[in-house]
Amino acid sequence: MAAAPFKQYRSPESSQEVVELLTRYGEAAVLLAGGTFLHGLAARGLMSKMEALISLQKAGLDYVKPQGGSLTIGAMATFRELLDASPVKGRPELGAIADALEYPPPQILNAATVGGSTASAYPLFDLPVALIALGGAVVAQGPGGRREIKLEQFFLDYFRHALGKGEFLAEVIVPKLPDRSASAFLKLETNANDLALLNVGVRVTIDEEGLCRGAVVAFGGGIGGVPVRAATCETYLEGSRLSAKLLDESAQAVTHDVHPISDHRASARYRATAAKVLARRALIRALARLGLEFG
Amino acid sequence: MKQVINLELNGERYEVAVAPHATLLEVMRRELGLVGAKKGCDTGGCGCCTVLVDDRAVYSCMTYAMTLEGKKITTIEGLARDGKLDPLQQAFIEAGAVQCGYCTCGMIMAAKAFLLNSRSPTEAQIRQAIAGNLCRCTGYRKIVEAIGLAAR
Repeated sequence: MAAAPFKQYRSPESSQEVVELLTRYGEAAVLLAGGTFLHGLAARGLMSKMEALISLQKAGLDYVKPQGGSLTIGAMATFRELLDASPVKGRPELGAIADALEYPPPQILNAATVGGSTASAYPLFDLPVALIALGGAVVAQGPGGRREIKLEQFFLDYFRHALGKGEFLAEVIVPKLPDRSASAFLKLETNANDLALLNVGVRVTIDEEGLCRGAVVAFGGGIGGVPVRAATCETYLEGSRLSAKLLDESAQAVTHDVHPISDHRASARYRATAAKVLARRALIRALARLGLEFG
Repeated sequence: MKQVINLELNGERYEVAVAPHATLLEVMRRELGLVGAKKGCDTGGCGCCTVLVDDRAVYSCMTYAMTLEGKKITTIEGLARDGKLDPLQQAFIEAGAVQCGYCTCGMIMAAKAFLLNSRSPTEAQIRQAIAGNLCRCTGYRKIVEAIGLAAR
């Protein structure tokens, strides 16, 4: 039985009030979103020194709004709400989001939130990797107002993010992507309720000549403290005319970019081999959403 | 410091004092004497604590009780009506879908949420609906059959 944490429960009713409470309690406060990750930490006794549990439930952050081609997602939107949101359905460029949300069981879809899974800064989660592939950013709200932080700069290490004192993650933004863009996500897991052994999010943009005009290949899972971009692989793709051979070569190139860990679930060698396979399959999946078959 | 909140559980109202970090599972089992939802892994991995909140399946082991005021909670104890079992409970008996029984309440609640929105599910859909629930006895086949039976 873990030591009882939290003397106070607070449920602020606006973002402004959240910032005020964070400023007041400082390091002794923890934000509660869906609770699916926080409970695991609390059950291991890691919250025992925390004084205040600040719930975002009533702060008015449970929305998914299209804004001129971009998508603004409130921190408290659940995975289910994001998956069911009409701006996400059937759009090739947002395929990575739909793919990533195919994996969790219903109980997690109904409770876990977009903000919580991002602000946890846990590199084994899926949705952040899909969002990196889409060029996603977070909106940090704090005593100095609001600022945007690209997701790639947001994650610093295991459980460490770029939020400053008194700041919290209020929104996630997916920017408008160029026409003829598509994305996909794939995860390697051992069972239906598993954290990723490895996961990959990809986004490609193809021009009317059939040339690749933009590519992002991002990995998470057992590859270290933060998700990584596969720059060598992306360089192979950008400006190239896509073919099955080129996809093979670019996927092989992830060896230069991804340096997985070994742990009790999988060896680094296994993950490195799987990374090449996953990259190729995810690219094929994304391109199929543009009607281009390479599989 | 505990705060008093009102919970609506199986159509009954309960006034209960809860700590900030108390989970719904702890409150149900320790304070309210409702022990249908089981404490298995306590980290959202096994599903035997599954209950419905506003007709959606959640893990009660990781749902903070303080967040549940104004929401409708349904547990296995709330399924039978006037002494008559819910069709899902009856189907689990008829299909022989229960062995040790530890997963059964969570399994039935996950299936209940699923069948509220799915009239004639495929086997694949049923299996996805219980993907968040572990059973170490049955091999799942009888459970899947029972849910299919209840859907008819």
